[in-house]
Amino acid sequence: MTGTEIYKRTAAYEQEARTIRLHAPQWKLLLAYDGQRSLAEVALSADVSFAEALPLTEKFLGSGWIEEQPITLDQYLKRTGAPDISAIGASIPPAVVLHEPKPDAVVPPVPTSTPPPLAPKPVAAPASITPPPISAPVTKSHGPMRLNAVVDYITSLVGNTALGQILVYRVFLRIPPELLQAEEIASVHLVNDTSLIRSEALQKAIAQAVNEVARRPLPDGVYAAA
Amino acid sequence: MPLHERDIHYFIEVTLAYLNKITGNEIVVRDPTIEFQSLVFSAYTGLIHLKGDAEGFVYLTASQQFLHQLHAARHNRGRFSEESSRDVMSDIAGTIVHNVSKRFGTGLTLSEPRIFSTVPDDPIEMPPAVFVQPLLWRKEHAYFVMGLSSAETA
Repeated sequence: MTGTEIYKRTAAYEQEARTIRLHAPQWKLLLAYDGQRSLAEVALSADVSFAEALPLTEKFLGSGWIEEQPITLDQYLKRTGAPDISAIGASIPPAVVLHEPKPDAVVPPVPTSTPPPLAPKPVAAPASITPPPISAPVTKSHGPMRLNAVVDYITSLVGNTALGQILVYRVFLRIPPELLQAEEIASVHLVNDTSLIRSEALQKAIAQAVNEVARRPLPDGVYAAA
Repeated sequence: MPLHERDIHYFIEVTLAYLNKITGNEIVVRDPTIEFQSLVFSAYTGLIHLKGDAEGFVYLTASQQFLHQLHAARHNRGRFSEESSRDVMSDIAGTIVHNVSKRFGTGLTLSEPRIFSTVPDDPIEMPPAVFVQPLLWRKEHAYFVMGLSSAETA
């Protein structure tokens, strides 16, 4: 699973619903599959991390309660923001990866003793390196951005936790350090970082960096309620 | 052209493969962090600068006990000294250089590993962000650290 798959609940689920016994967070996830949003987006909306959503989704698939919802080429292009290749004469639609190896197991966070850090040297803001964004960055007003949701979303795009974390690193290489300093963010934990980003400028910078590096817009689910 | 995530992760894989070979797959990989304001240095560090397809640096930094245990696992006996610490770190850094050079060829130039204790004599310029991968073996810590220039994301 890569996080881009779209699932819907099945007729079998409808028949069995009253007899199914699940924990409340699992119900929240199960009821969030709508046949329209990707697994990554559904997980965010249900407040479940991508790492937690994967085994649950497999369990629901195994029980026959959900099934993958195929989408049309137009829907796919709309979701990815890619240009309509039929308009340029291409005859083969882009491949959609449906199944990839499972992400690596995530080790629960354990406090580490960190040696004393070296005093930082002043850092110049990174130069603007911009392939044109596929869609406009954040334009509407949101609540705070949940850093763990951003990290989980980016990681889910790769389908492999370790490589996804490198993609997250690439995204944050593009964030102007002064914006992070202003928000007093000295580091990002790549698992369960509970930080909230309230600065609109930093939210926009992160959304734009995701757009440029991962070629995807950030889903609304990364924002907490205003 | 920037390296693919898989290529960047290869640096970590090479390091882990070497350490796991010595420790019998006992290295525990902790959750990584991205640091924006400081670099982490432990007792001994092996630093490699990168130029070409990737610009920046990678290093492994480890406590003396971590290196002592590695030394004991490899040699089973023998006196452990500051020189031994440097030798162990030098071997790790050399293995990284050897394997990475083999994979990337002339597209990526790697410096000779620089081994130092505590903090570097010459200051290292802090890139916009560094990727820190903590490693644990028998309660002793090491950190794999990677700092790429922002141009790397172009």
